[in-house]
Amino acid sequence: MNKAISTRLTFAVAILSLLIFIILWQVIAQQGLLVKNFPGSFKTIGSLIWWVSDPFFDNGPNDLGIGTNLLISLRRVLIGYSLAVLVAIPLGVLMGMSKLAQSSLNPYVQLLKPVSPLAWLPVGLFVFRNSEITGIFVIFITSIWPTLINTAFGVASINPDYLRVSKSLGASKSITIRRVILPAIMPNILAGMRISMGTAWLVIVAAEMLLGTGIGYFIWNEWNNLSLENIFVAIIIIGFTGFILDQFFGFLQDKFDYSI
Amino acid sequence: MNKKSSKISTSNENYSHLELVNLGKIFFKEKKFIDFRSKGNRSGFEAIKDINLKIEKNTFVSIIGPSGCGKSTLLNLIAGLQAPTSGKIIIDGQAIKGPGPDRGVIFQNYALMPWLTTIQNIEFALNTVFPAKTKADVKERARKYLRMVGLEKASNKFPKELSGGMKQRVAIARALSINPNMLLMDEPFGALDALTRSYLQDELLSIWRKNKVTVVLITHSIEEALLLSDKIVLMSSGPSAIISEEISVDLERPRDREKIEQDPTYLKIKMRLEKHLLRETRAVEEVT
Repeated sequence: MNKAISTRLTFAVAILSLLIFIILWQVIAQQGLLVKNFPGSFKTIGSLIWWVSDPFFDNGPNDLGIGTNLLISLRRVLIGYSLAVLVAIPLGVLMGMSKLAQSSLNPYVQLLKPVSPLAWLPVGLFVFRNSEITGIFVIFITSIWPTLINTAFGVASINPDYLRVSKSLGASKSITIRRVILPAIMPNILAGMRISMGTAWLVIVAAEMLLGTGIGYFIWNEWNNLSLENIFVAIIIIGFTGFILDQFFGFLQDKFDYSI
Repeated sequence: MNKKSSKISTSNENYSHLELVNLGKIFFKEKKFIDFRSKGNRSGFEAIKDINLKIEKNTFVSIIGPSGCGKSTLLNLIAGLQAPTSGKIIIDGQAIKGPGPDRGVIFQNYALMPWLTTIQNIEFALNTVFPAKTKADVKERARKYLRMVGLEKASNKFPKELSGGMKQRVAIARALSINPNMLLMDEPFGALDALTRSYLQDELLSIWRKNKVTVVLITHSIEEALLLSDKIVLMSSGPSAIISEEISVDLERPRDREKIEQDPTYLKIKMRLEKHLLRETRAVEEVT
């Protein structure tokens, strides 16, 4: 099949399935097939348009535009995530290079990695006495593990030829790390960063339900208002933002793909 | 032969370029990645033992042996990439302590950094070895060596855009760019097809003629060893491989690929090598 036709066909199928979904949703809601007063797709789309047409208003913490809330969440994620990456990459390199660091740090990593980051929320509140910093702290804890583990794995499984070249030239440790190891493990680092970002974006919504403001709090607030259609609006916005973030890392990964 | 002896007499030093004294290597444990300092006490796998060898300046020496006999280990020791368990490696009268830019190393898998372009790969070596050189100097020198291997036009290509033969030529340019007086090659043409291999062998000979360097070549190809070398060192099968024989290849240079195969000396040495390799390979295969 012609490639252009195939792309056009895929697009048409996607549009068609979306239309069917919207119509089915509307019919099911209208007929009360699921539960009574379940918002239909038309009502939800109406809400979406209303929220998106004026996204940045600010009438106090319980009445913020969806864009304002989204930016608050993104800000927390970006700060916590960036701090985590700044810690995870050097620590990961250290763990990958040194058996001693590996064996002394790995037990903590293995123990803490499977814990839901939300468990740290009370700890954060107790220590920082500030919901903003606690949110950032929770995202920090969330984001650190995938990047750390992927970086350490990347260093440990680096093609030994690169290290041999570097060593045979008499390169110092610092040159080897900066000019050989770091570029060589870029694909691993980016894969880790992509997973970290995905998890951070998942966790921020849950964390914010407990912290106030942000897109997660928006959902909690609309639950208190019993406005399910607004919750669907938030779900769509969260999903779309997460998709964009993930695509950004996908793009970076393609840039740093050294394989043939 | 004349050429070889004249080369030795022009060198004003009275010791060999490279001397291996009772060299041995035991691997105590497997390492997943290069650990900068590690020593074990457990008994391990003895790759080579009691290796004694002298290599004269600007000669071309091939080391040949059955697979798994520790040829690559020997080369890694000379390169300083691994430390010997026993014995000494003496270069120009001095025991080596580690790797150094006096030795250029060429690996079988080219070992080019895939995130760097061709010219950047060479610049990386130059910047590492000559940190004081200016950017322009480094670029100029990198370009010169790319020109030498006929790849000036590919200077901004990435390794994945190059063929295997081109990659190895870049690796040769990189190894020579740091101006070593010894070139250590670990089965450099092993991964190439026969035609590319012949082309690169000729290329290597012409480069060697112009750049005075001592070459130590690890190979498992008898023809390659005969075509290129002044001396062929035969290793026994491992573990605990030793040098079983050293053979001088007294064939006129430049050697012509077709004509050389009619030469009685060539045929005599070839037969001897084949017999040796067959015997040693049989020893390996029949143990397992």
